[in-house]
Amino acid sequence: MKVLIVGGGKSVYFLCRTFLAKGHEVALICRDHEECVRMARKLKATVVHGDGSDPAVLEEAGAYGADAVLAVTPRDQDNLAVCQLAAMVYRVPHAVALVNDPDNEKVFRKLGVAALSTTRAIASMIEQRTAIEEITNLIPAGEGKVNITEVRVAPASPVADRTLRDLSLPADSLIAVVLRGEQAIVPRGDTVLRPGDQIVLITLPANHGPVLRAITGEKD
Amino acid sequence: METRGVLIVDDEKNIRLTLRRALESLRLDTDSAVNGEEALAKLQERRFSVVLLDLKMPGMDGMEVLRRLRAARPEVKVIIITAHGTIESAVEAMKLGAADFIQKPFAPKEIRDLVTKVLDRDKLAAEKAESYEEHVELAKRCISQRQFDAAEEHARQAVSADATKPEAFNLLGVLLEMAGRKLEAQKNYRAALALDPTYRPANENLSRTTGLTSGGISVGAGTGGGEAGGERTP
Amino acid sequence: MTASDRFIVIVGCGRLGAYLANRLSRDGNGVVVIDAEEQAFAALSPEYSGFRVEGDATELAVLREAKADKADVVVAATRDDNVNLMVAQVAKVEFGVARVLARVFEPRREAVCRKLGVETICPTAMSAELFLKAIAREPAP
Repeated sequence: MKVLIVGGGKSVYFLCRTFLAKGHEVALICRDHEECVRMARKLKATVVHGDGSDPAVLEEAGAYGADAVLAVTPRDQDNLAVCQLAAMVYRVPHAVALVNDPDNEKVFRKLGVAALSTTRAIASMIEQRTAIEEITNLIPAGEGKVNITEVRVAPASPVADRTLRDLSLPADSLIAVVLRGEQAIVPRGDTVLRPGDQIVLITLPANHGPVLRAITGEKD
Repeated sequence: METRGVLIVDDEKNIRLTLRRALESLRLDTDSAVNGEEALAKLQERRFSVVLLDLKMPGMDGMEVLRRLRAARPEVKVIIITAHGTIESAVEAMKLGAADFIQKPFAPKEIRDLVTKVLDRDKLAAEKAESYEEHVELAKRCISQRQFDAAEEHARQAVSADATKPEAFNLLGVLLEMAGRKLEAQKNYRAALALDPTYRPANENLSRTTGLTSGGISVGAGTGGGEAGGERTP
Repeated sequence: MTASDRFIVIVGCGRLGAYLANRLSRDGNGVVVIDAEEQAFAALSPEYSGFRVEGDATELAVLREAKADKADVVVAATRDDNVNLMVAQVAKVEFGVARVLARVFEPRREAVCRKLGVETICPTAMSAELFLKAIAREPAP
C-alpha cells in the first residue's frame, strides 16, 4: 500500500515507521524544513517539504498514486482540506483526518471524511470510570451508535466462573465472542466465563458504563 | 393590560442601536437609558411593559438595578442581557425575578421572539392552558415567580399533552432537583435525552448531577430560556 | 427580508472582514464578527453596531457562541483558505445556513465545497481576469 502522511512531530515519525515496518510505501509531507531533513535521514520514505493542502505539494508527494492519505496535523482545518482534496481531486480511496476538537468528528463524517478523535476516546474511557488496565480497544462503530470493547475477566470479577445465563447484564448488550488463550468461543447460555478470558462486548453507549462495571466489578 | 413599551438599558451605544432596530417591526414604543440611574428615573416618569437590562454596566451594576426595579415596579417584566458564558449571574437574576434572559451575541429575530414570548406569557390564563407549549411557558413563568409547585404541575401537564418532546422532561427534572429529589430528576433528564440525544440543557444537567461538570441548572436555551436557581423546600 | 431582519456572521476581522462588517452594520444588518485575535477588532469603525466574538472559528463551540446557527448569511473571510473552507462547510452541513460565502485564494480548492452550495470568491482568479482585461485595453492617448 502506498500511504501519504501529512503532519509532523514525534507521533508522526512513529506512524511512518509503523507503516514502513508493515511493508508499505510511505510519503510524508511536513511543513517544517528542519523536521523534513531529520525525517528523511531516519526514514526510508519520500519526504516532501511543504503545505499538504497545497495541490502542487500533494502531487509532488505522489497523491495520484496513493492508496491512503492520513492528515494528522494539529489543525483540523488543514486535515479536512488535505482529505477532501485527496478524495475529490486525486481519487485516493482512503482519506482519514485526525480531529483535535471532538465536536468536529461528527461534522467531518457528515462531509464524507473519515475522522478520528483521540480526545473523545480517552475522555469517554475516563468518564466510564472503568479500570483501564482491563479494557482495551474501545472502538465506536456505526457512527457512534455502538461500542465494541474488549474486557478481560479478572479473577475477582463478579462474572468469573459463572455461566452467561446466570449473569444479569443490562439490556441492549451482547457478549459476542470469548477469547480464551488461542481459542475464540462464540458463547451460549451455558458457557462459563473464566478468569483470564477476553470478552468482546457490544454495547449501546447509554449502558456501556454499567455493563463494563458489571463485568469488572467496579462500584458506581 | 395593554402593552406599554420597552425600555432598553445598556451603556453601549451599538447594543442600544441593535436592540432598537431589532424591535422596530414589533411596533412597540421603545426608549433607552445609558445606565441604572437613568433607567430608574425613566421608570418613575413612564410605564413600560418590558425592560431589557444589560447586567454588565459601569456605575450601578445590573443586579442592583434589577433589585430596585423589582421593588419599585414589580409588574414590569425584565429580560436580562448577559455576556456569553456568565451563567451564574443569570441564575441569580432569575432568583430575583427576571422574566428571562438572552446571551450576547443574538440575532435580531431572537430578541424579537423573546420579547414577544415574554409579553404573551402574561396573557396566558393558567386555567385555560391546554397545549404543550402553553404549559411549558406557564411552567417557566411560575419558575420566575418562584411558584415552584405550580411550575411542577404545569411541567407534568406538558408531558401529558406531548410526551415526545424533551423540554418538559428537562423542566420537570430541574424542579425535582430543586426539591432535592435528585434521582428522580436524573430520570427525567435521561428521558429528555432519550427523546433527543442532542438536547443540550438536559445533557448539561445530567453531566452536572452525575458529578462530571459544574455549573448552573439549565432550563433550556432556544431564543432565551433561562437558568433556574434558588431553594425549594422539599 | 429587510436589513434589520438579517443576521450576518463574519469570520475574520482582517481588511476584508472588517470592511464587510462596517458596511453591513451601517446598512442596518445584525452583524457578528469572529476573530482569533482581540487586536483585530481595532479595524472596526467606531460606528460599528454589531457584536464581536474572540475565538477560533474552527471550533464548533465558537461558531455556536456567535450564534452561527441563527445566521442568514455566513461569510468566511480569513486569510487562510483552509479555515474559510472548513467554516463554510460547517455552516452549511451543521447549521444549515441559507447563504454561505467563502474567500478562497487557491483556485483548485474551490471545487471542494461547491457541491454543498457554498459560494466561493477567488481573488486570484478575479484579479487575473481584471489584469488581463486591463492589459488588453488600448492605453489612453
